[in-house]
Amino acid sequence: MTTAHVDRPRKRAYRAPAPLGGRGGSGVQRTRSGGRRSRAALAFLAPALIVLAVFVVWPMVSALQMSFTDASGFGEAEWVGLDNYARIFTDPDIRDAVLNTVVYAVLFTPTAVVVALGLALLLTSDRLPFRGMFRTALFLPFIISLAVAALAWSYLIDPQVGLLHYWLRGIGIDLGNVLQDPTLAMPAVALVAVWKNFGFYMVIFMAGLQEIPGSLYEAAKMDGANAWTRFWRITLPMLSSTTAFVLIFATIAALQAFDQIYVMTGGGPYGNTQTVVMEIYESGFRKLDLGFASALSYVLLLATLVLSIVQFVFFGRREEES
Amino acid sequence: MKRIPALVAAPVALALFSLSACSGDSASDTDGPVELTFWHGYTEADGDVLEQIVDDFNAAHDGEITITTQVNPWDVIDDTFLPALSADNGPEIVAMPAERLPVYADRGAFVDLDDFYDADASTPDLNTGALDMVTVDGTRYGVPTGFVPLTMFYNKALFDAAGVEVPTTWDEWVTAAEALTVDQDGDGTPEQYGLALADHATVGNGVWPSLFYGNGGAVVEDGKAVIDSPENAETLEFWHDAITAGKISPTGVDGVSGDGLFSSGRVAMYIGGPWMASVSEENGVDYGIAPIPAGPQEQAASAIGVSMALTEQADQAQQEAAQEFFSYFLSQEQATTWALGSGWPPLRTDVAAADVAENPVVAALTEQAELGRPLLPGVVNSTDVLTAVDNLTQRAMAGEPVDALLAEAQTAIQSALDD
Repeated sequence: MTTAHVDRPRKRAYRAPAPLGGRGGSGVQRTRSGGRRSRAALAFLAPALIVLAVFVVWPMVSALQMSFTDASGFGEAEWVGLDNYARIFTDPDIRDAVLNTVVYAVLFTPTAVVVALGLALLLTSDRLPFRGMFRTALFLPFIISLAVAALAWSYLIDPQVGLLHYWLRGIGIDLGNVLQDPTLAMPAVALVAVWKNFGFYMVIFMAGLQEIPGSLYEAAKMDGANAWTRFWRITLPMLSSTTAFVLIFATIAALQAFDQIYVMTGGGPYGNTQTVVMEIYESGFRKLDLGFASALSYVLLLATLVLSIVQFVFFGRREEES
Repeated sequence: MKRIPALVAAPVALALFSLSACSGDSASDTDGPVELTFWHGYTEADGDVLEQIVDDFNAAHDGEITITTQVNPWDVIDDTFLPALSADNGPEIVAMPAERLPVYADRGAFVDLDDFYDADASTPDLNTGALDMVTVDGTRYGVPTGFVPLTMFYNKALFDAAGVEVPTTWDEWVTAAEALTVDQDGDGTPEQYGLALADHATVGNGVWPSLFYGNGGAVVEDGKAVIDSPENAETLEFWHDAITAGKISPTGVDGVSGDGLFSSGRVAMYIGGPWMASVSEENGVDYGIAPIPAGPQEQAASAIGVSMALTEQADQAQQEAAQEFFSYFLSQEQATTWALGSGWPPLRTDVAAADVAENPVVAALTEQAELGRPLLPGVVNSTDVLTAVDNLTQRAMAGEPVDALLAEAQTAIQSALDD
């Protein structure tokens, strides 16, 4: 679909969002003032870069080194080569954890993205009153810690004292003990994460929506397009790069699921909510098998990277098509 | 630009300052007293009693040995001990729940104490179950600080109201629970349950092992998984049927919520740890203590243990000083004081219930001390074994066929032991 060249004003009121591959061809001009500027930039960045280097890069490199040993955190660590990595692919517990993580991602990612998009559309339409208040209220869950949210939710759905149960029983629905139910536990923990995160994605979608020029919609209305067609043929394609961004973030967040699972179910019932990061935690800190935990962390990192690249490429291609 | 050097110099100077401040205190002073750090998780009133014991020891060894304690909740200790030790910043003496000890001992974090035990005069008098919990592969790596069998707490007021006697066998137990389960509004959900039987993450992970022992079964014996046995199958079926038929207990309960159910007066009987005494008092529950009712084969209870160990960070002088402290801690007088103060039975077998009569809870528990069996002594991968047991009991109580579950648990536990 090509951008409609309706009424291009003289001044650049609108610029298409940068395609995912970045604008090619605009190199950095090296001038004298450019050189001084980049030195100043470096100086301002230095504290953050040092913190990153010490607290992120160095541990990552150490973890890589540890993943080839049988490190337990102290004492001598013996080199074991690729044994830890081999164990990841043969251990049935890890296989179950990977499956659980995939289930969680399938539950969390589409739900969070769809809910966020839906609410963003609602909050940018002119017809809704008190939009500012709704915007703030819907964003609030994002700023509290996930562990705290998980605690609050586990009280809400507790069969003995939970408010949610009380209300649902009032209309005749008895969910039983949700967190101990092998089929309901995973949706429950996914729901908590959706509740906490959708505000952030919603705000990003709202920013993306505001970049779409109103003139496109007017033109479409004049051509007789209804709301659904306008959404499907204008909004969605124009939101491609935003959707890609949100999807990649949501997928990464889903693959790292840990906080609320640790607090609410501890990986149960029967290990049905045991995700890969829960396995990493248990191997590293309960069974003192830090070498194995590091290896598993790196495999997770690679899987996340591959998935993100796939999404990036997919949406990059869609952008080119549009 | 003149400001940049200052902007860069300030954080660098700050970093250098803090680094130099950190590294100054690791050298032990050969002229002054031997200094030891002792980490423990006794955060309640029992912590005060332990502090007093440590202070008395320091006073008796004034100028020679000084022990400084650091108190944190048990799971904080479990999380921070490993990184601290690897940074040489850990304690010389650390206390931890007994089932965590083998995994650290196996990784070489602790000094073996066989010489201490062989030399010290008082150690033969210690509770054998407690000693088993500090033994890994035949070597003793710690000193027990607590060993108590799980016991049954019952709500006297509810018993009186229903006119029921305290049960002593499983059949009496189920009958009593049925009499004590009250569903006044007839909606199918009792307001008051006779029993709160946790089916996973139980108190001290010991409720189900206690029930298995009662019918002559076990979880691990001599390093082999023995969970798949006809006795255990009977046990699981017995309790599943009792709960389904009489609704005598809420389902899906774990140890923590079970504690809450008893202290809020909603269940009449509960298998719990000694802290339930003070929790019940705080919540105004008139409680009584009785041994866990006898099963068809035996009367036994799984025990909760806490042990302290000497870490490999301690140098020769510190090791000797620590062993002095252990001897002092295990001496008759201190063992009695500690039992009375911690609310747990004494670790020395020569301290009888009569000697601790001033604390009736401790006296009652001392009488039951022989029933206590250590849980998974010396098992390094207790994490996976306990997960397998939890899965087994939870699914059995949910009604899944017991034979398949036991076979699964057997495989899982055996592979955890072989690890």
